[in-house]
Amino acid sequence: MNLIIYSISLSIIAGIMCLFIPKRTRGVAETLGVIVSLVTFIMTIMMFGREFVSKWFLIDNLSRFVVMGIGMFGFLIVLYSLKYMQGRDRINEYYAYLLITIGASIGAVLSNHLILLLVFWGVLGLTLYMLVGIGGSDASSTAKKTFIIIGGSDVIMILGVAVTWVLGKTFIMSGIEVSVNSGMSMLAFICLAVAAFAKAGAMPLHSWIPDCAEKAPVSVTAFLPASLDKLVGIYFLGRISMKMFVLNKAMGQMLLIIGAITIVAAVMMALIQHDFKRLLGYHAVSQVGYMVLGIGTCSPIGIAGGLFHMLNNTIYKCCLFLGSGAVEKRTKTSDLDKLGGLARFMPVTFVTFVIAALSISGVPPFNGFVSKWMIYQGIVDLGRKGDKLWLVWMVAAMFGSALTLASFMKLIHAVFLGQREGGEKVKEVSSLMWIPMVVLAGLCMIFGVLAFTVPLEKFILPAVPGVSFTGLFSPSLVTLMIILGVILGLIIYMLSNFKNIREDSLPYIGGEELPVETRVTGVDFYRSIKDSKILGGIYRAADKKSFDIYDVAKRVLNYFIGMLKYLHSGLLSNYVIWVVAGILVLLIVLMKGSI
Amino acid sequence: MKILFQYIIFPGFLFTAIVGMIASWIDRKVTARVQWRVGPPILQPLYDFIKLLGKEIIIPKGASRGTFLLSPVFGMSAIVIVSTMLWLVILSPENSFTGDLIVILYLLVIPSIAVIIGAFASKNPLASLGASREMKLILAYELPFILIVFIPVIKAGYTIKLGELLAFQAKNGVFLNHPSCIIAFIVAIMCMQAKLTLVPFDMPEAETEIMGGAYIEYSGAPLGIYKLTRMMMLFVVPMFLVIMYMGGIIFEGWHILWGILKYVLLLVIIVLIRNTSPRVRIDQAMRFFWRPMTILAVVGVCLAYLGL
Repeated sequence: MNLIIYSISLSIIAGIMCLFIPKRTRGVAETLGVIVSLVTFIMTIMMFGREFVSKWFLIDNLSRFVVMGIGMFGFLIVLYSLKYMQGRDRINEYYAYLLITIGASIGAVLSNHLILLLVFWGVLGLTLYMLVGIGGSDASSTAKKTFIIIGGSDVIMILGVAVTWVLGKTFIMSGIEVSVNSGMSMLAFICLAVAAFAKAGAMPLHSWIPDCAEKAPVSVTAFLPASLDKLVGIYFLGRISMKMFVLNKAMGQMLLIIGAITIVAAVMMALIQHDFKRLLGYHAVSQVGYMVLGIGTCSPIGIAGGLFHMLNNTIYKCCLFLGSGAVEKRTKTSDLDKLGGLARFMPVTFVTFVIAALSISGVPPFNGFVSKWMIYQGIVDLGRKGDKLWLVWMVAAMFGSALTLASFMKLIHAVFLGQREGGEKVKEVSSLMWIPMVVLAGLCMIFGVLAFTVPLEKFILPAVPGVSFTGLFSPSLVTLMIILGVILGLIIYMLSNFKNIREDSLPYIGGEELPVETRVTGVDFYRSIKDSKILGGIYRAADKKSFDIYDVAKRVLNYFIGMLKYLHSGLLSNYVIWVVAGILVLLIVLMKGSI
Repeated sequence: MKILFQYIIFPGFLFTAIVGMIASWIDRKVTARVQWRVGPPILQPLYDFIKLLGKEIIIPKGASRGTFLLSPVFGMSAIVIVSTMLWLVILSPENSFTGDLIVILYLLVIPSIAVIIGAFASKNPLASLGASREMKLILAYELPFILIVFIPVIKAGYTIKLGELLAFQAKNGVFLNHPSCIIAFIVAIMCMQAKLTLVPFDMPEAETEIMGGAYIEYSGAPLGIYKLTRMMMLFVVPMFLVIMYMGGIIFEGWHILWGILKYVLLLVIIVLIRNTSPRVRIDQAMRFFWRPMTILAVVGVCLAYLGL
């Protein structure tokens, strides 16, 4: 109990303290950030072995690995920020909000009381707004959008909590078990799920994430939309759909539909982006689809897959965003048209980025594959139970995975391989920035290769009882064979004329020398998809933001406001006519009553 | 230790390489006969490979060396894994080896990824162009391919273990007896052609347009490994279809010959398609796979649901 209170309050208090540190003394906030986040991380590790239930807090199999994830990401991001945020203003505020976010997230995950959860949830929305706002003046509209979407979903969540209270007669989450069969219970579940969707970024409440990714500082995106919000949001979705509610088929179908649409639509948008960070932002949305899909299958293996995917996604997505930050730090741009050929200059960033990119594309034996593979088994399970639509979810998930691969191939080409505009040399980023990336890329490999012995055994399977694998996959054996294959390949190289390796020919273009300005940026690789007939129309609609719930709502609102505006013409005579007409109507009504 | 033998000698690297080379020879011989030529001797693929090992390796200036040289190796190692898995399943369906249908599907994409990354690393605009075509080709065929590989899964009662799919076929007759699977098989042959990037879907390397595309800058040993990988794929990908739709190979007397015939039949189909069609453009290929092929695959799925 004390440990919980300490871990939450320490970072929140330290965060508030940061706000009052004078602006000139910069080192203080940074030191405080590193120490507090490290201590919090250690405390979350200590929490791992424990079970605890009280009126206010709860540590169980589901929440403890999520908390540990929060602690780890908190520490890594603070470490990364030391160099990344150097030279920006409002540093103290930045660390303050970062620390408060860590504390509030731990609180949200550990709370056992719905009201307490609401409080922490609200604080998270607020700090997110503040952190996005640090991106400078052009981030302010994004911050506003984020706040409106998250805040709006919070309101719905409050409604959900109220309805849940009516149904379960208690606010204590571990004491609630409602089976979803009536209209009320459906309303409660949907309301709570909406909050989880907005936080994690499932469609249609996703539109703040790509904007955020583009405008906010990379470390903020890597921290919140990419890792912490996923952990908190999907944890909450998992908690409500596994423990608090017993889902019926309709709710499962709803989750499946949302998941499938999110996967495909978001990744299709990612395919055509021109901005490094925005592209990653769309993937941050797309991957949520897999988690929702996994939980929506309602079979233990699918749910376990969804939760495992949540953990994996936070790891590789965080790594990808940090990589984009490193590139941006050195080249001062995130425009894919201008980048290229950085692999030679930034080898560490390149290798970690490729590992994370292969993980997110689900290439075996990296971690993304294992969790996707589990989700697919959940979907096959669905088919076995008689759901005829299982193949639709399967195609959405697997084809989405191919599309993900495609967009990352484009990214790897456009940023790290290929040719850069100008082409002057750059340096690798400092070790404080690449250490977090290396740690995360290492985790991608460990969680993939040792999937069954480490993450599944320790974190996921205890949280989801009754998982049985219907497929067959031994990641360690596959890894062993890949290593053997590479050794074989090297032997072939050795047998060959390897000493006579030459590096002096110019790229061959029909026998002519390649002019320096000729480059293929890779940005338009998938133009033929964008230009195709059916998809083209959808893309144009998306460009007009027709699928952005924020913009749609804004348009609807503006329409009604326009009508009201029309009435307020400012002409006195018009107003007088309205007044007289009103009085007449009143008179008639009143007289009718008296007669 | 056992795995070492399985991976390197049989049914892994060495076996796949030898059969792949023979398949490649058959391909070239049949092609030659179709064009009224004599064709190469049976050892020609081996000569080619050894010759490439002896050649100088040239890396274009400014390319990413490590990526450029390592990509072919990863592609080859993935295809050998697939081959090992498939053959161990054929040899003993009951104790399925480490990998189900989904694992195989994903591993089969790795050689293409290797080609793409290698091409990107070579810093040549034509290679980039070829690689982007390869990627679009994957997107094109993957959609119907995902649909049709799950038709046998529906038929066999929702199992994704290859061993169980084979056992089901051994008991109830091959999947190709069903109309839904015949449709699936037709789509699968088209997808296979694209997976092997053979004419009419050879736009990633299209010699006459982009001079080898993805392979343009490769020479010597890395090119040799790429060629070897492609020979292996010519063996492994049809074998996958043999397992999925034609009941695999049963190792008993005449069944062995029958099993080999199944593979040779597929190989001849591949060679004939390759020799009788012109290359299509990438957008045509995408339209082809996303419209008629996908519709056909959906029809197949519907038939499978109806129990046909």
